[in-house]
Amino acid sequence: MSDTKRKGIRSLWGSEDALANWIGFLIIAVGAYSVLSGAFDFKAANFSTWGNGTSLLTQLNADLWTKLVRTYAVLGVLFTVGAALKGENPFKFLAGFTGLFVLSVLVRAVSAEYTFNRYLEWAFFALLLGLLIANTIGVPAWLKPAVQTEYYIKAGLVVMGFSVLFSNIVNFGLYGLGIAWIVTPIVILFMWWFGVHVLKIDNKPFIITIATATSVCGTSAAIASAAASKAKKEDLSLAVSISIIFTVIMMVFEPVIIRAVGLGELMGGALIGGTVDSTGAVTVAGTALGKLAQTSAVLVKSIQNMLIGFIAFAVAVFFATRVERDANSSREVTAADIWYRLPKFILGFFAASIVASFVFLPAVGKGNVSAINGVLDQYKNWAFVLAFTSIGLNTNFRELKGTLASGKALTLYIIGQLFNIILTFAAVYLLLSGKYFPLPDIAL
Amino acid sequence: MKVWTGRAALPVLLFIIATALAIYIMARGLGLDSSLDFGAGAYYYADMPGFERWTDRTYYVSQTPRWVLIALFLMWGAFMYRLWLRLDSKGEK
Repeated sequence: MSDTKRKGIRSLWGSEDALANWIGFLIIAVGAYSVLSGAFDFKAANFSTWGNGTSLLTQLNADLWTKLVRTYAVLGVLFTVGAALKGENPFKFLAGFTGLFVLSVLVRAVSAEYTFNRYLEWAFFALLLGLLIANTIGVPAWLKPAVQTEYYIKAGLVVMGFSVLFSNIVNFGLYGLGIAWIVTPIVILFMWWFGVHVLKIDNKPFIITIATATSVCGTSAAIASAAASKAKKEDLSLAVSISIIFTVIMMVFEPVIIRAVGLGELMGGALIGGTVDSTGAVTVAGTALGKLAQTSAVLVKSIQNMLIGFIAFAVAVFFATRVERDANSSREVTAADIWYRLPKFILGFFAASIVASFVFLPAVGKGNVSAINGVLDQYKNWAFVLAFTSIGLNTNFRELKGTLASGKALTLYIIGQLFNIILTFAAVYLLLSGKYFPLPDIAL
Repeated sequence: MKVWTGRAALPVLLFIIATALAIYIMARGLGLDSSLDFGAGAYYYADMPGFERWTDRTYYVSQTPRWVLIALFLMWGAFMYRLWLRLDSKGEK
C-alpha cells in the first residue's frame, strides 16, 4: 500500500476532525437511543441554579454524583481513545483530562449561581479560570496533554449539529425570512468589508468570528465560525467576551427603548429577535414587552439559530477556497483542493443537522427530537466548557490585552451591531408595521 | 494587530463603560423575569431549561408554500455567497 493511500485511510479515523465526527455521532446515537428506547439514562450532569436562598450543597446528592461520573466516563473514554488514535499517549492524556474535567466541574458549579447563571454562564468563567491559572501559577506539565481546544470544540459542534433544525426556516414564513435571513448575511458582509477595508484588520478569521457573533446568535455562532475559519483561540475568546457583555446590556435596555418609542410588541419582539445575540436574552427581553413580543422574538431567533449550520458551512468553504489558498498561485481551486482544505468536522456538523431535520424529525416527531436535544445539549456544553477552559489555559493575558487595546475589535463589533439594529429595524418596519404587508396571524 | 493609540481610545472607553454597566446590571438583577429560570447566559435555544415550551409549538402557519420558502432561502444564500466572493476579489485588486 502506498504512503498516500495509507494516509488517506488513516485520515478516516486518525485525524482530529474525523475523530470529532466519530465522537459526536457516537454521543448522538447513544443519546437518541436512550431517549427513544427508554432503556437507560444517558443524561449528562447539569447544576441547577443555586444562590438566592438555595444552597449549592443541596444539589450534591446521589443523582448529581451519578451524572458527574457518567459524564466523566463518557467524555473521558471517547476523548482518550481519540487521543490514542491520534498517536498520543492515552495515559498522559487521561491524567490531564481528569484535571481539566475537575476544573470544568468547578466552572459549571460557579456559573450555575443565580446571578452568574442568568447573565454570564460557562464561557466567561471557563475563560477566567483558565486565564487565572495560566497567568499566575502556570499550567502544570501533566495537564498540558489534555489542553486541546479544537478537539473539544469540534466534537461539541458535531453534537450541536443535531439541534440545528432546517424546518425552522418556515417557522415565520416570509416575515421570518425577510427579517432573519435577508438581514443576517448583509450584516456579515458589511462587517467583513468594514473590518478588511476600513479597519484594515489582517486577521480574517477574527473578522468573520465577530461578524457571525453579532449577526447570528452570539457565542454559539462565534464558536462554529471560529472553528470553520480556523481562528486563533484568543480571537474566539475576545469575540465571545465582547458579545456576552453587550448582550447583557441589550437584554435590559432594548425593551426599555422599544417601549419608550412605542414600537409595539410585534415589531419590538422581532427587532429583539434579530439583534440580541443570545437566545436566552432574546426570550427574556421579549417577555419584558409582553406575550406577543416574546413569541415574535423567539420566532425570529429560531431562524437565526438554524442559520448557524449554513453560515458555518459557507465560512468553511470560503476560507478553504479563498483565504487559505496560496496568494501567489494563479491556479483555479479544484474540487479536490476544497475537499483537502475543508475542515471535515464541518461535514459532521452539517450531517448531524440533516439527519435530525430529515430523518429523525419526520420519523419520531418534534417532541422526541426535543427530548434527544435536551440530553445532547449538556454533552455539547461540557465539550465547550473543556474547550473554553483550555483556551484560558493557553492564553497569555498580555496578548489578549494587546488585541483589545488596539480598539479595532470593539469598533468592528459596535459599528456592526449598530448597522445590524438599523437594518433589522428597517426590515421589521417594512414587514410588520402593517403599512406595506398584511400583519401575520400569530397564535399565542 | 497594531495598537491604535488615538482612535482606539473611544472604543476602549466604551468597552470600559459597557463592562461597568454590565456589572451594575448584574449587581442589581435588572432585566430578568421571575418566571424564566435563565437569562443572557442561555447562549443557545437548547440551553434554556424547558426549551420545548417554545420550540414544540406552531405559532404561525405560512400561506406561502414550503418549497417557495426553501427556494427563496437557498437563492438568497447563494446570492450572498457570490457577493462575498466578489467583495473579496475586489479587495485583492
